[in-house]
Amino acid sequence: MMNQVRSGDAMLTDWRAAATRFEATVGAAVLGQARAIRLLTIALFARGHVLLEGDVGVGKTTLLRAVARAVGGAYARVEGTVDMMPTDLVYHTYLAEDGRPRVEPGPVLRQSEDLSVFFFNEINRARPQVHALLLRLMAERTLTAFDREYRFPNLQVFADRNRVEREETFELPAAARDRFLMEIGLEAPQDAASRRALVFDPRFHDTDALIAGLDGGVLDHAALPGIAAAIQHGIQASPAIEAYVIGLWAALVRPGEAGIRLPGLDMEALVQGGASPRGVAFLVRAARVRAWLEGRDWMVPEDVRAVFPEVMAHRVFLEPIYELRRAAIMPDLCRAVFETVPAP
Amino acid sequence: MRIRFLAPLLAGLLLSGPAGAQVRSVEIRTPRPFGYFLGDLVRAEVDLVVEPGFRLQAASLPQPGALTYWLDLRDLDATASVYGDARRVRLALTYQTFYAALDARALEIPGFTVTFVSESDHGATTVKAEVPAWSFNVSPLREVQPPARDDPRDYMRPDGQVGPGDPRPLLLGAAGSASLALLALAGLARDRSWWPFRARRGRPFGRAARRIRALARRPDPMLHHRDALLALHDALDTVAGRRLFADDRGDFLKTHPAYATEGPDLARFFEASRRTFFGPGPEDGLAVLDLPALAALARRLAHAERAA
Repeated sequence: MMNQVRSGDAMLTDWRAAATRFEATVGAAVLGQARAIRLLTIALFARGHVLLEGDVGVGKTTLLRAVARAVGGAYARVEGTVDMMPTDLVYHTYLAEDGRPRVEPGPVLRQSEDLSVFFFNEINRARPQVHALLLRLMAERTLTAFDREYRFPNLQVFADRNRVEREETFELPAAARDRFLMEIGLEAPQDAASRRALVFDPRFHDTDALIAGLDGGVLDHAALPGIAAAIQHGIQASPAIEAYVIGLWAALVRPGEAGIRLPGLDMEALVQGGASPRGVAFLVRAARVRAWLEGRDWMVPEDVRAVFPEVMAHRVFLEPIYELRRAAIMPDLCRAVFETVPAP
Repeated sequence: MRIRFLAPLLAGLLLSGPAGAQVRSVEIRTPRPFGYFLGDLVRAEVDLVVEPGFRLQAASLPQPGALTYWLDLRDLDATASVYGDARRVRLALTYQTFYAALDARALEIPGFTVTFVSESDHGATTVKAEVPAWSFNVSPLREVQPPARDDPRDYMRPDGQVGPGDPRPLLLGAAGSASLALLALAGLARDRSWWPFRARRGRPFGRAARRIRALARRPDPMLHHRDALLALHDALDTVAGRRLFADDRGDFLKTHPAYATEGPDLARFFEASRRTFFGPGPEDGLAVLDLPALAALARRLAHAERAA
């Protein structure tokens, strides 16, 4: 860790101030998305990959670009297309001026191991082969190319997905979805002031200028893994909260046994599987970061509740007949879980 | 019609031209020709034997109804059967007499004519069979001049004695039905949650206040602090209808304005609960809100609950 010489608590406090600055910086560029920004901040300090999902033109890309800008560090971006192959991410092949074919590092490798944010736009347009490559990149933060293994210790993958279109898209495999820490749904801001500003203020019309105007490098991206580990060690989880999280987990996987009843649903046959131990571990990681952001060094149930839908909902696999109504069922199920499971 | 005492009464053969050849015999049979009273049924059977090929013309039969002022034909039934080489038609007649006789006398039941038809390619041949009148004896019901009685009611016979009935099965049945009805009513009341199955609006804060008061009286507060906090949490969850956390305090006070005055103390309670269950420990929680203060808060909440 970088700041070993300083006392852990003081370091965490300093970083909390930095995180607040980070949120303010991103919030200046992306209006009315305080919750999404808070969740992205949590993901950043939990070192988790994020999948943004939302309508067209609500600011998914802008938000991710603003985050990448504020984090600093190298940044690579690709657009998912149907004809994209895994090698397109790794290698860049072209004919040089002398007429000879050249193979150079592609978007992922170009920034070499300094890469901190890898931004995958329209991820569901890419083929499953690309998803598979991404799977390894996300899980192990390594890639084999040019006969050697590249490591990306600071890498975070941000992806976004268009929720409206389903044609010429490929659903992410369950394993890839499970490796995303969060799946954040993005809606257009609801308050009138933000809406008016977004439509009429010319500042928000030129995205490039907007992002360029942000204060770059608010966070020291190289130190993020260290501070993330410090947060995970520094935030205490009492036995009560441990029991609570396990209770939530059980209720989510077997809602019928937990006494949850939702109208019009067969609770015994609702959930097919999912909610892996990795997912619950992610949940606790994110909840710890949230507790730290709130200025506590111990977790409370609200921390878990604040990140639960984004961290857990996409890991639960429903029975096929309910899968199509997932967007309506999952929020109800998450709310019912929190209304039912006793804490402590 | 079943006739036990046949009194064959051969009325005679009518031998008048060709008809006499075609109607072979007419025979009237009655059970007995005497011993009839006012209102009695008089039954008679008439057997008519005709040449084969002839069948009864149903329209020629007498119609049931009043024949004379004292005689009704109640019922008539005709059955045809084969009788040797001829055909036999048996008429079953039921008369009822309304003759109020003062002495025993013979009455005559009038005769009637029955037509038979034989249809061939050359046309239809009809033949009439005369059923002759026959008589029977009716008798009076009582003597003409009964002895005088002082009390007209003495002319009447006394009422018959009714044997004592056993009411026990009826009473038992009634009791059984009543208890079944009560059971069904109880089931319905339970289903519709009528009284007494209607759950009273509970008073969770009142219950919690009692429990916390009991806990606060015990010597070591450290041991019972958790239980006391849990008791109040339980009450809050019940009132809110869901699990209530510290961050939900604002929403709760908005939806339950009766407890708004306790807002600051509820905040302290949630802080103490957080510190006890999730934070440093019960000592820290006790420092924020000790047991007597908690008991006082629960009492005030219970009071607000009663007032609400």
